[in-house]
Amino acid sequence: MKAYLRVRCNKSYLSTIREFVRSRLTDLQVTGNVSSQIVLAVDEACANCMIHQHQCDDYSTIEVAIYKEEDTLYTEIKDTGKAFPIDQYQPQSPQEIVKRRGKGGFGINLIHHIMDEIKVEEKRDYFIYRFGKVIEPKPGQA
Amino acid sequence: MKIEQESHDQYVTLIPEGDLDANSSVYLDEKVKNLISEKIFNVHVRMDKIAYISSAGLGVFISYVDELATNNGKFVLTHVPENVFEVFTILGLNKLDNLKLIKEDVDPAPVFNE
Repeated sequence: MKAYLRVRCNKSYLSTIREFVRSRLTDLQVTGNVSSQIVLAVDEACANCMIHQHQCDDYSTIEVAIYKEEDTLYTEIKDTGKAFPIDQYQPQSPQEIVKRRGKGGFGINLIHHIMDEIKVEEKRDYFIYRFGKVIEPKPGQA
Repeated sequence: MKIEQESHDQYVTLIPEGDLDANSSVYLDEKVKNLISEKIFNVHVRMDKIAYISSAGLGVFISYVDELATNNGKFVLTHVPENVFEVFTILGLNKLDNLKLIKEDVDPAPVFNE
């Protein structure tokens, strides 16, 4: 069953999103380091949408969904407008970013390091970032 | 975000508190920028009150580390929580020469002299 959260594009709601994702992952028995990484990846994608798609416009919203299919945990971020092709992004090395004294460029880099599957689904009026993370079964679990 | 500041002979200590995300990292950024404008290039950050860090938080350190190094300074981060350390590690940022990450409660002074 999918769990949904819709929030305004205000960066103060990022902590609400993180809490929602963390809580839902606990319900799905995904905890520890894997949970922390998924929370981080969703936070990065949502921050990108809020800042770059909506310029933190409080009247715009994004929607986050979480669900599990077999051994894979999926998170989706649904947004309006034109998607940034994060699935095709070529991350810069940390050394390159240090040299240009940049603040950005790490978020999508982190998503690529954390997630096993990154897809962008574009519709007429909206797009969906879909991230998949294969969850290793805990000892004793089938 | 609440950020305490302490001055020492060789360096300044910043003690931020809370989550270091896209919403709050601007406050730490402002603090570091002010220190650099005051010609303070050795910056110690106590991280034990940081519960979470995102790329925006990383960006504060990465965007200034080259400028500190150019002026013979560095960041020394101590009391780094395991989950925060892990985020630096994912991108290999724990291996930068002028950004020292230390999980333990240590005196940063000798690290600035290395």
